[in-house]
Formats: sequence, structure tokens, C-alpha cells
Amino acid sequence: MAYQAEISRENPTCILFVIDQSGSMDEITEAGRSKAAFVADVLNKTLYTLITSCSKSDGVRNYFDVGVIAYAGSQVTSGFGGALSGEIVHPIQAISENTLRVEERKRKTDDGAGGVIELKTKFPVWFDPKSEGGTPMRAALGKTIETVGGWCEQHPGSYPPTILHVTDGQSTDGAPEEMANGLRQISTKDGQALLFNLHVNTGAGLEIVFPTAESDLNDEYSRMLFRMSSPLPAHLAKFAGDKGYSIADGSRGFIFNGDPQCVVDFFEIGTRPRLVADR
Amino acid sequence: MSTTELRSKSRLPLAFSVPKREDQPNEDSFHRTAKGVHALSDGASVSFDSASWARILVRRYARNPEFTHEWLSAAIAEFRKLYDRDSMPWMQQASFDKGSFASLLGVRIADAGRAIQVLAVGDSLAVLCDGDRIKATFPISTASEFTRSPRLICTNPTHNTFLDQMDFGYDLVADWTFRGLEQPALLCMTDALGHWLLSQRDRDSSPISVLRRLRTPGAFARFVQEERAAGRMKRDDTTLIALWQV
Repeated sequence: MAYQAEISRENPTCILFVIDQSGSMDEITEAGRSKAAFVADVLNKTLYTLITSCSKSDGVRNYFDVGVIAYAGSQVTSGFGGALSGEIVHPIQAISENTLRVEERKRKTDDGAGGVIELKTKFPVWFDPKSEGGTPMRAALGKTIETVGGWCEQHPGSYPPTILHVTDGQSTDGAPEEMANGLRQISTKDGQALLFNLHVNTGAGLEIVFPTAESDLNDEYSRMLFRMSSPLPAHLAKFAGDKGYSIADGSRGFIFNGDPQCVVDFFEIGTRPRLVADR
Repeated sequence: MSTTELRSKSRLPLAFSVPKREDQPNEDSFHRTAKGVHALSDGASVSFDSASWARILVRRYARNPEFTHEWLSAAIAEFRKLYDRDSMPWMQQASFDKGSFASLLGVRIADAGRAIQVLAVGDSLAVLCDGDRIKATFPISTASEFTRSPRLICTNPTHNTFLDQMDFGYDLVADWTFRGLEQPALLCMTDALGHWLLSQRDRDSSPISVLRRLRTPGAFARFVQEERAAGRMKRDDTTLIALWQV
């Protein structure tokens, strides 16, 4: 059975975020923020959650190797800045130690006596929103293949890498499908790499969430993104079902025209392995 | 149980505790009193400074064993005062906000054992024995009930909502007595030992007789080491409070 490997410090898994930073990501959503800013915020919160889930009394344990690939214009680069910008993938402990900055935000919380208080909370930032130029998706997936292939060679017994790809547009450097197919062929002994695709809402058309068949989809572009996506393994399908999504046999890790809540859920479901990491 | 009854004196039970590893802090805590109120707590090592949280819980229980929502709020407030949250680096603050988790097992013994009240939140185990026989256990009765995610008391109140559904005087409490028992004993233990005991209960050699022989910290430490080495006990902080033949 695939996707059963225990995630531990000896056998970490890899989570790779591939983020579209093309010009169209500057469109303002109904919430009044650009898509790029919203995705950046969710990504920073996801990294924060991953790190805190690995924080034990003896420090941050390296259950995960995490990378961010950003693409825009003619460039495919590490989405991390500063000391992390040289490589794509880093142990989560290194990520915890190398924020771009730490902001102070306010959030409301239970005061323990039936009331609610507003707490100032330190919020680390690793990834800033950007949006310019074209959408070199093919090149980005090529870089992802190189990164994931190298990682799997070094971790043959680990739970395979999960790639969360976020885009709002069509590739401008050629068809990405064959790259996606190649990426999903890369495997460890525990199964093939998982590629999940999130198409961020453009304000047009219906939202399609975890579809089971191409026939569910209206146009060739969404059908292609469907084919590019891995089927949800049983444990992720259950988790998505528990979150209220309609899941059936063959549901793929693909959301088309996803609204902000879909974006949040997509990241949460994709990083589900954090909940089963060795305690 | 009235406060008058609690004034009955009893001798201190034996108590032993060993850490999961020699070089790591022991996050279990226990407290015994001469008035027959004893408590132990198992701080979850996945959480922030759970050793301090466990210590606060057992000390507070020993002082006031009436566990209520107000009792818990006061305990959380005491824990929060230990730290200056605003000056913490972000990661420490995140762990602090996520909360510290611990079990609480408390016993009140009154009237020379005629009335025993056990309070339990989480997976620490109380055992009532007669000689080598187990007469009752609380709050867990089989080894398979020990899970990786017990419901523990947290310094972050949002994780304590499971308690809102509970009647503290009924769901969290067992009432026992030594009356009618020829050789009564009361044992309290954290989960590694509790799991060991319940998984050994049907063996020829009673686990109670094994524990009865442990009268010094050294003997207890050797026993835990041997059972861990044999794969019969999980490697975790391990604590026992034992009141033999009252």
C-alpha cells in the first residue's frame, strides 16, 4: 500500500509549493486584496503551522523538507529570500530560523473565563506577494521535476513529495501537461509524487472542487489541469470529506476557480501529513 | 465528600518517577499530602513547558481538590504568569499560544479508606486492588484504550471545550472504598505504566505483585528499565503513587 510510510526525523517527507507570480495575480478579489497577497498570506500561515506542528520541547524537528518555487515573466526561482534563496528545498528547522521579517498582528482569542480578548501576535513572513509578466508554468514544472527527482533519490524510503501548485492563468511557455505527467512518475518506495493543482478564482465560471472525471469540466484548459492532478490518496480523500467536500472514488487533487476558503482548505489538505508526523 | 471527612489523616503513599531518558526532563509531576489528597499529572512533551503545567495542576489539586471551571481558569492564569508572552520570540510565542497539555489524576481518601474519590482527566490511571487482584480501574479499563491522542487539560482554553460537555461530579469521577477488601491498595500511575499494567493483567504473575515489591526509587527505576528493554513498556516518563495495605 502506498502513502503509508511513517514521517519521522529519519524519514522526512517533502512539501513543495509552486506559486504563479504572473501579472494577473494582481487582480483584486472581493475581499479587497490581490490574489497574490492572499496566496502569500495563506502560504506564510501554512509554513507557520507546519513549523509549530514540528516544535517539540527539544526544538523544531525536521519532519519536513519544504521548498517554494516561484515563477513569473521568464524566471523560475526560489520563493524564499535571504539565506534561504540559494536552494529550493530546506529542512523545516532552517526555515524556522530564517524569516524575512516578523510582523505584529492582532487576533481575538478566548480569555479562559468566558470572554474574548484581542492578542498581539508575532507573525513570521517568508514569502512576499509579487505579480508581473507571463506564466512560465512549463519551466516551473521542469524545475519541480529536477527538485523532486533529486529529493527522492536521497530519500527512497520516505513518504513521497507533495507538490501544491497554485496558478490563476494559462501557461505562456508551452504545454505543461507532459511536465506534470513526468513529475507524477517520480516516486519513492512509498508511492508516486503527488501533484495537486489549485486554479485561483478569476471571477468567471463555476467553482469545481476535487472532480472525478474530465466530463465534469467545461473547457479544454480545466480538463488539462484535471489530467495534470494526482488522484487523492485515501487518507487525504477522507480528510477532504471531513472538511465537507464531496469526495468520490477517483477524486483528483484539483480545484478550478477556487474561492478564498478553497485556497485555505487546499493548503490544509495538501499539508495533512503534518498531523501524522512522529510525535 | 465533605471537608470534615477530608481531615482524616493517612500516611503518605510511596511515590516514584523516572524520566523517559536520563538526559531529558521528566514532565510528570506528583504531589502527596498528609490529609489523604494525592495527585499526579503527565505533561505532554509535544507541548510548551508541560512540566510546569503538570506541577501547577498537582499542587493546586492537593490544595483544593474541588475541580471546577473556575479552578481550571485559576490554574491557567497561574501558568500564564510564569511567562512574559509579549517578549517571546515568534516561535516560542506560537508554542505558548498553542498551549501546554497535561493529564490530571487526583485521589481523596477519607475515613481511613472508607471513602475514596478519584478524579481523572486524560490517560493517567487509578487502580483499586485487593491483594494481587484488580478490583477497579479508572478512567481506562483496557490496554487498547490508551491512544496517541488522549484528551488532556490545556493552558489554551479553546482546547478544553470537551470539558463543557461533561458533568465534572459524574463523568470525571469514580467513588471507591476499601471497605470489604482484605488487603486493599490504591495505585495511581501515568500512561506508560498504566498500559503495562492493563496489558499484563491476565498473566500468571499478577502485575500488582510485581509493583508491590518496588519499595525504593532504585528498585522502581530498575523495573522500568527492564520492562522497557523487554519491549513491554513504552519509553515515556513513568510515575507511580502506591498506597499499600491501608
